[in-house]
Amino acid sequence: MKLTVEALRTALLATADAIEQQKDELTDLDREIGDGDHGINMSRGFQGVKKELEVQNSLADLGELSKLVGMTLIKTVGGASGPLYGTAFVKFATKWSGMKSVEGEDLFAGFKEATEGIKSRGKSQAGQKTMVDIWEPFTASLQADSTLEEVIDQALVDTKDLVATKGRASYFGEATKGVQDPGALSSSILLKNIVEVLHD
Amino acid sequence: MINLILVSHSEKLATGLKELLAEMVPSIEILVAAGLEGGKIGTEVSRIEQAFSQISDDALILTDIGSATMNAELALELYTGKHTIRFVDVPLVEGSFLAAVLSGQGQRIDQIVTELEQEYLSKEKTN
Ligand SMILES: Nc1ncnc2c1ncn2[C@@H]1O[C@H](COP(=O)(O)OP(=O)(O)OP(=O)(O)O)[C@@H](O)[C@H]1O
Ligand SMILES: [Mg+2]
Repeated sequence: MKLTVEALRTALLATADAIEQQKDELTDLDREIGDGDHGINMSRGFQGVKKELEVQNSLADLGELSKLVGMTLIKTVGGASGPLYGTAFVKFATKWSGMKSVEGEDLFAGFKEATEGIKSRGKSQAGQKTMVDIWEPFTASLQADSTLEEVIDQALVDTKDLVATKGRASYFGEATKGVQDPGALSSSILLKNIVEVLHD
Repeated sequence: MINLILVSHSEKLATGLKELLAEMVPSIEILVAAGLEGGKIGTEVSRIEQAFSQISDDALILTDIGSATMNAELALELYTGKHTIRFVDVPLVEGSFLAAVLSGQGQRIDQIVTELEQEYLSKEKTN
């Protein structure tokens, strides 16, 4: 499995389109167990990313690309997901600086760093019904012999039944059980689009 | 005099708090980094960075909930200016009252942070 600059760029553009399609779904979920802005936040952010990627065609390596995406998300998304996704991409950039493509240990190291970045930004851990419940099993499975799409789908199912103990949703307590976490859903959209472009 | 930076989801909340604090310590310098454009609720890094650019001395950041804290910590990591800015994770209203009084008494940033941490350490926010 290998991730190249061009592949990541393709995945990000596809994510921007997918977020547009699922914008209302993301917002509706956030309305149930949050403040109803997640789809709007993510749409604004990934449309911003799309615009940047359309004008920047000289991105030399994965570090530069990830840094650009991270800073754009930080500037445009807002809310909790802005600093969380922004931090994830800035962390990719620290691990993948100067690299035109990554595989094996390097690929894993980037996702590990990003997941740890999200956890430390949110002071959160797995099991609290947040996006961490998608990023963490996904990252772990990069080193295992498993089908990544299935891992993401299973993580979404597992997250749905958790009770939120972190973030705005935590104030809704038991009522969050059985409702999908919006950040978990948006993370699954991003990560699935990245899986799509990983070459053998 | 140590400046206070109030980071909140609501501009009204932060502006109201600023009024309360000014009544206690009229000379206090308070910057509000709250809400989004058009009076909408939310927090964003750029408003916090704008407040950073307006401080006249070292400054203390206080936040309300969730993303206010994340955006404040992120803005702090990106800050390259000449002042010392510190974030202290204490309840916004109570914490800023104590901070305003201490600042008015001429205490410096590290002293204020230490006092606030001592006062609120056992009541740490968890969400
Ligand atoms: N502390 C945290 N750690 C990890 N993920 C979190 C945390 N807080 C929120 N999230 C994730 O962010 C998603 C919500 O993002 P959204 O853009 O709606 O921000 P928000 O919660 O509205 O922000 P705000 O704090 O301004 O209300 C949640 O569904 C969850 O997955
Ligand atoms: Mg929300």
